[in-house]
Amino acid sequence: MTNNSLTIEQAQAKIKRRRIISVTVRYIVLIVVGIIMLYPLIWMVGATFKTNAEIFTTLNPIPKNPTLQGYKDAMESYGGNINIWKALLNTYSYVIPEVVFTVISSVLTAYGFARFKFKGHDFLFTCMMAMLFLPQVVLNVPQYIMFNKFGWVGSKLYLPLIVPTLFATETYFIFMLIQFLRNIPKEMEEAAAIDGCNSFTTLIKVIVPMLMPAIVSCALFKFMWSSNDFMGPLLYVNTPAKYPATIFVKLSMDADTGFNWNRVLAISLISILPNICVFFAAQNQFVEGISAGGVKG
Amino acid sequence: MKKKLVAAIMAATMAVTCLAGCGSSSSGSSSSDSKSESDNASIRFDWWGGDTRHEATQKAVTDFQKANPNIKVEVNFGAWDGWEAARALEYQSQTGSDLTQINFSWITDYDKGGSAFVDLNDYKDIIDLSQYDQSVLDMCKDSNGGLAGIPVSITGRTFFWNKTTFDKAGIDIPKSLDDLIAAGNTFKEKLGDDYYPLSLSTYDRALLMSFYLQANTGEPIIDESGKLTVTKDQLVDGVKFIQNLEDNHVMPSIATLQEDGDVALNENPKFIDGHYAGVFEWDTASPKYVSNLAEGQEFVVGTELTGLGDKCLGVSDKVSMLFAITKSSKSPKAAAKLLNYLVNDPEGVTTLGTERGIPASKAAYDTLSKAGAISDDMSTAHAEVVDSDPLYFSPKFDDASLKDSATGAYQDVFEKLSSGSYSVDEAGQKLFDAYNTVLAE
Amino acid sequence: MTKGKSFLKANKGFLFILPWLIGFLVFKMYPFASSLFYSFTEYNLFEPGSEFHFTLQNYKDVFINENERNALIVTFKYAFMTVPLKLVFALFIAYILNFKIKGVNFFRTAYYIPSILGGSVAIAVLWKALFKGDGLIHSFFGVFGIDAPNFLSDKHWALFIICLLRVWQFGSAMVIFLAALKGVPQDLYEAASLDGATKTQQFFHVTVPLITPVIFYNLVTQLVQAFQEFNGPYIITQGGPEGSTTLMSLLIYNNAFHTWEMGKASAQAWVLFIILMALTLVAFWSQKHWVYYADEES
Repeated sequence: MTNNSLTIEQAQAKIKRRRIISVTVRYIVLIVVGIIMLYPLIWMVGATFKTNAEIFTTLNPIPKNPTLQGYKDAMESYGGNINIWKALLNTYSYVIPEVVFTVISSVLTAYGFARFKFKGHDFLFTCMMAMLFLPQVVLNVPQYIMFNKFGWVGSKLYLPLIVPTLFATETYFIFMLIQFLRNIPKEMEEAAAIDGCNSFTTLIKVIVPMLMPAIVSCALFKFMWSSNDFMGPLLYVNTPAKYPATIFVKLSMDADTGFNWNRVLAISLISILPNICVFFAAQNQFVEGISAGGVKG
Repeated sequence: MKKKLVAAIMAATMAVTCLAGCGSSSSGSSSSDSKSESDNASIRFDWWGGDTRHEATQKAVTDFQKANPNIKVEVNFGAWDGWEAARALEYQSQTGSDLTQINFSWITDYDKGGSAFVDLNDYKDIIDLSQYDQSVLDMCKDSNGGLAGIPVSITGRTFFWNKTTFDKAGIDIPKSLDDLIAAGNTFKEKLGDDYYPLSLSTYDRALLMSFYLQANTGEPIIDESGKLTVTKDQLVDGVKFIQNLEDNHVMPSIATLQEDGDVALNENPKFIDGHYAGVFEWDTASPKYVSNLAEGQEFVVGTELTGLGDKCLGVSDKVSMLFAITKSSKSPKAAAKLLNYLVNDPEGVTTLGTERGIPASKAAYDTLSKAGAISDDMSTAHAEVVDSDPLYFSPKFDDASLKDSATGAYQDVFEKLSSGSYSVDEAGQKLFDAYNTVLAE
Repeated sequence: MTKGKSFLKANKGFLFILPWLIGFLVFKMYPFASSLFYSFTEYNLFEPGSEFHFTLQNYKDVFINENERNALIVTFKYAFMTVPLKLVFALFIAYILNFKIKGVNFFRTAYYIPSILGGSVAIAVLWKALFKGDGLIHSFFGVFGIDAPNFLSDKHWALFIICLLRVWQFGSAMVIFLAALKGVPQDLYEAASLDGATKTQQFFHVTVPLITPVIFYNLVTQLVQAFQEFNGPYIITQGGPEGSTTLMSLLIYNNAFHTWEMGKASAQAWVLFIILMALTLVAFWSQKHWVYYADEES
């Protein structure tokens, strides 16, 4: 018996069998990887409802004796005049201005670069693009020294975190917006100019509405990055009452108060809950944003 | 027209931010000499600590404001983690709180030439300095001879033992080095491999080593002129002494402690359940250990170990914590008033209790001991330190480059010594170099 | 004044980029340049005047001082473990997802969540809970009767655990790959399969060459990220045990903000920067040998 003597039916059956196997393998891989990806998070949620005695003794994410003790403890002030709610409030008191300022300043800059010619345009554009490759790690120390000279370190208004966002310091967003702008035809703007719009009103009335998807992406990413930012507040926030959630979570893990892991994990979970909500509300924008930036890069 | 408007707004925004920058930088450097304080004052006060200290101190501050309605006190308090760096920077940029709780070593680290803290001798009509021994106040001088801070308490290290575990092993708590080493072997034989009579962190090891060296030389390891009194060979010997304790099953290795969860000793489950039966701690530290121990265990204050050397016991004591008033304070008198309330006033002292150790102020000590507010454990341990004829303790010993838990030499040397990455010779050499670097500054 | 006005009239765009230009000069270029200056000094924040004591020692130390050299080595190890693992994983999963898979959106979301949350302190805390001596993974191995090592206090394991935290966040690289794979024309596969190419051959000979620009993009961005990793080691291991997870960024942080040696920290940052630049340049230079850009062909 050789392969040659297979009937068409047999060959088709073989192909079909092969396909079924490969499809099954694919799903198994996807599901196994999916479990690896999500299990830690699911376990974390479960652990916040467990007693400290139970947490590390079982792999089962569902608590045997559910308790709210972790959450009760998580509500308490710790390490100063600060608790998780105040910390979250602190976080958003600088994250929201950062997002707004970043979007505005980035749109202005992207518009300027994409739609106008001016002296030094190409040189400055190269400078701007070069900033994509300037790692923050080189800037941390000198920026700190500079903000210290300004008297901004420990500022109750989070000046070192907020002020730079007024000046389009997130190069990645400018770059992303310029990519989008390039795909928007100029005819609309020309029409607007004929209608008597100047370049600024054109920006507001014509460009911004068309750019909206990209702007939303920028805002979402900036929101995530800023609220996850740890190094910034670590360097520039000095007063416990002003600590944002990231620092508070780290603080709650301090050795000197002892680890009640259900409390620590409950605090951690609460601190990322807003981000999880934002992600689920806008996951398509995240995916589109990241693919667009990446593919066009 | 509109274009101009945009430009104007932008320019204005920028101008405001720039001005804000310049404004705050210049306001910080206002001179502290022009003190024509009005009666109404608003001051800031900061401290670090744990929850009970926070509660007591906040209550004391509230009481103080009731008694002095014209002084408004804003407080800033938190846990130790990251605290020193944040405050150091505030002192440096002249933006610190008016009244601030400091560590002994901060005087040499951050108050060079008296740049950060006022000379409290200028406020001796407000702060009752007569409550302190002159010798104690002398320790708190800055390099210009000014009184940089008021010592809240004097402290030293001694041993505390879990008597229940020692009973189980059938031996008495150790009084001498020989007892301790014998206990290590007894624990191993009778109780098992994971029982140890003592447990020491890297900094504990550095301190105990200094006791050992001092017991052999009779001199403080770093003397008052800032000179290292031991040779490299003596340091190698000191390091050998520490390693010998580990080799004799007296204490667990650093790796074992990390496996336990890398937590403070009083949180270590093996301390809590009695596997680690001894600590080498500040005389005031017993409450945090006692409160964490599992039920049915007896925690007792030990004595300083004899037999470390032939010159003396080798113990040293230090000013554990101070209150200082920053140079940038606009209301130093109000701050001094609060300071005196916290350290000398019977009401303030009673509220604070022993939250910052056993008071160095005689008045405060009397108030507390009459009220029975100093626990037996604490006074026994304190007496143990005071009676041991303690030597001078140099703040340089606690320099950040030595003591820092991440980058300090003690961590590096004793962790690597414990794991075998450093030989005793290498470890001794590293310490010798580290001390010389610090003392050369 | 009028000159300025007429300049702006002719260069309207300049007005729009003015905020950026100020930010560029004040928050990027000035710090960048001053950092280079500080790196040649003994600048200590608490020693007035020390910023004018010039020295080359900072740079020598990076290569001579044992701890600094160790941090450099650890950083390389970290980057060269994390980046390939992450990219291979991301590409592999994206490849599978690119088949007609039911519930593709569900899987994509599941894989993407760790990336979007992963930078947060909360996840680092979770990682510590998972891998600590008596943590969850330890009990997991216990179920099979294996006495697992204490991952975080074992100097041979700790760095790998820190790597895993980032590999686990392969989602964003995957999303980018997935978008690129969707862009590969279907007829190319059909042609290849008519030529008798197996799926594996198709993957390596059709898919990979076509998405090289995206592989390149992911490679560079991940490399830049990996060399700057800070949160993981800072929160989970504080650089220990025995400095085995002290990455350069952590060392720089410790030097700058624990002992305030700004000069030393700046030099370390510059060495890291130069290494990163060199690697990026090598990547760009090597592009012409392996990266395929569709436009060039047409």
